[in-house]
Amino acid sequence: MEFIKADNVRFAYEPAEGELPREVLHGVSLEIKKGEFVALLGHNGCGKSTMAKLFNGMLLPTEGKVTVEGMDTADEETIYEVRRRVGLVQQNPDNQLVASIVEEDVAFGPENLGIEPKEIRRRVDEALKAVDMYEYRENAPYKLSGGQKQRVAIAGIIAMEPDCIVLDEPTAMLDPRGRDEVMETIHKLNREKGITIILITHYMDEAVQAGRVIVMDEGNILTEGTPREVFSQVELLKQHHLDVPQATELAYRLRSYGCGIPDGILNEEECVGALYALIRKE
Amino acid sequence: MAAVLETQDLTYVYSPGSPFARTAVDHVNIAIEEGESVGVIGHTGSGKSTLIQQLNGLLRPTSGKILLHGKDIWAEPKKIRAVRFQVGMVFQYPEYQLFEETVLKDIAFGPKNKGLSDEEAMEKAKEAAEFTGLKRSLWEKSPFELSGGEKRRVAIAGVIAMDPDVLVLDEPAAGLDPKGRDVLLAQIGSYHQHRKNTVLLISHSMEDIARTADRVLVMNKGKAAMFDTTPNVFARSAELETMGLRVPQVTAIMTRLQAMGCPVPSGVLTLEQAIKELLPLVKKKEADENAQ
Repeated sequence: MEFIKADNVRFAYEPAEGELPREVLHGVSLEIKKGEFVALLGHNGCGKSTMAKLFNGMLLPTEGKVTVEGMDTADEETIYEVRRRVGLVQQNPDNQLVASIVEEDVAFGPENLGIEPKEIRRRVDEALKAVDMYEYRENAPYKLSGGQKQRVAIAGIIAMEPDCIVLDEPTAMLDPRGRDEVMETIHKLNREKGITIILITHYMDEAVQAGRVIVMDEGNILTEGTPREVFSQVELLKQHHLDVPQATELAYRLRSYGCGIPDGILNEEECVGALYALIRKE
Repeated sequence: MAAVLETQDLTYVYSPGSPFARTAVDHVNIAIEEGESVGVIGHTGSGKSTLIQQLNGLLRPTSGKILLHGKDIWAEPKKIRAVRFQVGMVFQYPEYQLFEETVLKDIAFGPKNKGLSDEEAMEKAKEAAEFTGLKRSLWEKSPFELSGGEKRRVAIAGVIAMDPDVLVLDEPAAGLDPKGRDVLLAQIGSYHQHRKNTVLLISHSMEDIARTADRVLVMNKGKAAMFDTTPNVFARSAELETMGLRVPQVTAIMTRLQAMGCPVPSGVLTLEQAIKELLPLVKKKEADENAQ
């Protein structure tokens, strides 16, 4: 059964005075299964961040509905259940950390859920270990690097033991090493704890690592499928000003010049292998 | 060519003399030539931000010197303000610093501060707005009504309007989508070509650096680990890797092909270059096979 379901969802933000409401989602339907790793792609203003906030009821659809394990996010009776199941990590780690000590910050969520202190202690330790930040538990968050802060923010979500984590461009402000750290953490949570991951990103090399990619454009779903299915549609993505990984584009452009290089190359490995075979095959 | 900006044994220590003393910039000697476009890379904590904040006098070096047009910028500390007009700095997420009633007024704030008359400042503002591709229909709007990408351009225009000899941009494309990033970088490129002034671009995106920079400065543990032409720097991918940095994917692909014995050069930076190198090889191979 699907874990999250969006059914014909439309959404418009409250307009400024004297302006007409502008609809940002025009009837989006999608399903996310438990344990999936889904990447949501699209450029700024395509509606993907709005979608993220709809998944845990931070925003409610203007039309249509979003359900989490069958619970309507618009139902006030179950909204806390929904939020406990679906955690949201945002782009800027500085806006998400509230306490002056790492472990207190991670404890903030479970404390708010009214969980007993002993259990909180267990969850905080486990969450910090899961993101590899346990040794930093007594540090001040402001002294950490961007990647470390973002991992603490993720630990804060994990401590609430959600079934699903939605991450809205979690690596946009990080350096290459910080990006790798966060991506490794997300994959580990998905693999080892079975947490459903919805990753919103601009980075194609991150999307390539997902199980399924959904591409949004102007408030609609443009295309979806496995990374290979999606990224073999180079032309479609380019038309909509979306990037593809450089390895994919290099293979695609060589093909368009008549080179016999296979379709749907996704990463450096595959590209090097295919090119080597073309140039050096004896 | 003359160096527009030069550092001599530049060193910056945070909390000097305390148990928490930390050397963020350690005896850096670099000379930036007039009119070049320099990329600055380095992981978080490598010292690149501390370095650039000294270039326009926001931080005063613990020891060492910064020469702007050959003159020590701290020779007369009272005149440091003038340095800030000559070395213009666009910080990360500069759109949070907008405050004026209209887009043009916001852009004109810097030139006015520099001492230009209202009319002159407005002229400069309009020119800068054109440069950064802000549509005329936006000029009289409140900056807060604009989209994220447009706000970013207003903030950049505000610095460009001061006509700095050196323009320093810290992660100008962070948070923009691929299209927004392409447009912004193209505009910075054309600004650079037109004004022929010096541009320093700090970025975590190796692809962006590869596309825009003539030379690349690599900061690592407070030191200038490399300062060389962009192809030469990106040809040293193994060393960059140890500093927590990457090379663009296309560069990595070509480097690996070279290591496997394919006759391709190192330091290939863009897709266009890679295609130019690979296409003849593939075609030649095919022709050879057909001939057999």
